[in-house]
Amino acid sequence: MSAEALVRKLKKALGEHIGEAWVPRPHRAFFTVRREELHDVVEALVNRFDIKHLSTITGVDTGQEIELLYHFWDHDVCFTVKITLPRDEPRIKTLTDIVPGALLYEREVHELLGVEFEGHPDPSPLVLPEGWAEGHPLLKDWSPPEEG
Amino acid sequence: MARRLLIPIGPQHPALKEPMGLRFRVEGERVLETHIRMGYVHRGIEQACQERTYIQALYLIERVCGICSHIHTTTFCQGVEELLGVEVPRRALYIRTIVCELERIHSHLLWLGVIGRDAGFETLFMYTWRDRETALDILEEISGNRINYAVNTIGGVRIDLTPTQIEGILERLDYLEEQARYYLELVTSEPTFVARTKGVGYLSQEDGRALCVVGPTTRASGVDRDVRRDDPYAAYEEIPFQVVTATEGDALARTVVRVKEIAESVRMVRYALQNLPGGEVRTKVRRRVPPGEVISRVEAPRGELIYYIKGDGTERPARVKIRTPTMANLVAIPHMLRDAHIADIPIIVAAIDV
Repeated sequence: MSAEALVRKLKKALGEHIGEAWVPRPHRAFFTVRREELHDVVEALVNRFDIKHLSTITGVDTGQEIELLYHFWDHDVCFTVKITLPRDEPRIKTLTDIVPGALLYEREVHELLGVEFEGHPDPSPLVLPEGWAEGHPLLKDWSPPEEG
Repeated sequence: MARRLLIPIGPQHPALKEPMGLRFRVEGERVLETHIRMGYVHRGIEQACQERTYIQALYLIERVCGICSHIHTTTFCQGVEELLGVEVPRRALYIRTIVCELERIHSHLLWLGVIGRDAGFETLFMYTWRDRETALDILEEISGNRINYAVNTIGGVRIDLTPTQIEGILERLDYLEEQARYYLELVTSEPTFVARTKGVGYLSQEDGRALCVVGPTTRASGVDRDVRRDDPYAAYEEIPFQVVTATEGDALARTVVRVKEIAESVRMVRYALQNLPGGEVRTKVRRRVPPGEVISRVEAPRGELIYYIKGDGTERPARVKIRTPTMANLVAIPHMLRDAHIADIPIIVAAIDV
């Protein structure tokens, strides 16, 4: 199925939940979702469309807000569900209950960008050194601690 | 009832190739629960890329993985090329693909040695690492380097192949193909190797999909997925090949899939060399990259590798996100280790090719 066809199919089924949708090139599709609806949308992807493969979660600090991009792999299309979170309250419900493969990706985004994933079974540190206390290094206003 | 114990291994431990914190809760000889902690060698490359120009970041990205350096630069370069909107010469795409597959051959041969050694089959380690030298020699001859070949650049490749080089590579490919055939027979018929790997580290197709596992690890569980076929890049659309899968979902199946992939890669390199288009190997590109975002995906030796790159119109990327295949596969380790024997831990961990 082409990226356009996939977007059409998902828009038809999940219409009101999907904001903008675009296909920048073959094999790629993007759509935006409101953050409160992410969990329901992904649940539909997994249960109704059998789209189970979450490739990863990218977190981007734009300076104004935090974008989370959930990249899914469905046959020959890599499509991305984009949500934005306010910088002062970056919280989102965990997807680990419906996509077990999200376990480590959420922990990584949590550490590097400070996003809270509500209901994550084990939000313990994963990638930063033990005893790290210098904040979240991928935030725009982060600067490395002074040496020495 | 046997006593419950907590066994910590690492982060520094003689049996680990790189630092990793593993904690096993065991009862007698059985593993109940596994906890993994990475981060002892987190180098902050994503952050560092944002402080460099695209071409400087390329040098860093060559060093993300110590074994599969070329696949990372391929992913990065093709992403940046998409942002720039440049067309890369076909000859360059073919050379990229040839190096990608030579890299897969030496990476899989390296792994085969590691799993052989972990299974107590030291001779297999000796044989495969000897043969891996054939692939490394080819890479050294064409690029000047054994591991960090620095073949890719934004807009193409930095090397070209001469007819004499092509002839020399083709000759050695026959040897590698013959050895792949031999290893397939060996790993499926050697009784001790089969005894150590068959049924070990089982992952069902359903669990493989739910855990979003990638590469040979998931193909050995019957998940028919390969970026080279599903989302073709470089020259893969023009090169015929088979996606190798198996259904058993154990360490033996993961071995068989990788050995068959070596043979498949040899044939792909041969085809690409015999059908190498003429022309230039790179186009000049601007230093400033227009604003935009791309997702670049490839099939690395260990599975799907994905980059997200965001440009903001300057000479430096606004964001580079890297998700290596091992990061995707780690989540399956606690799952595969549940109820396993302590003695099988090294084989199960190695079988995802960490």
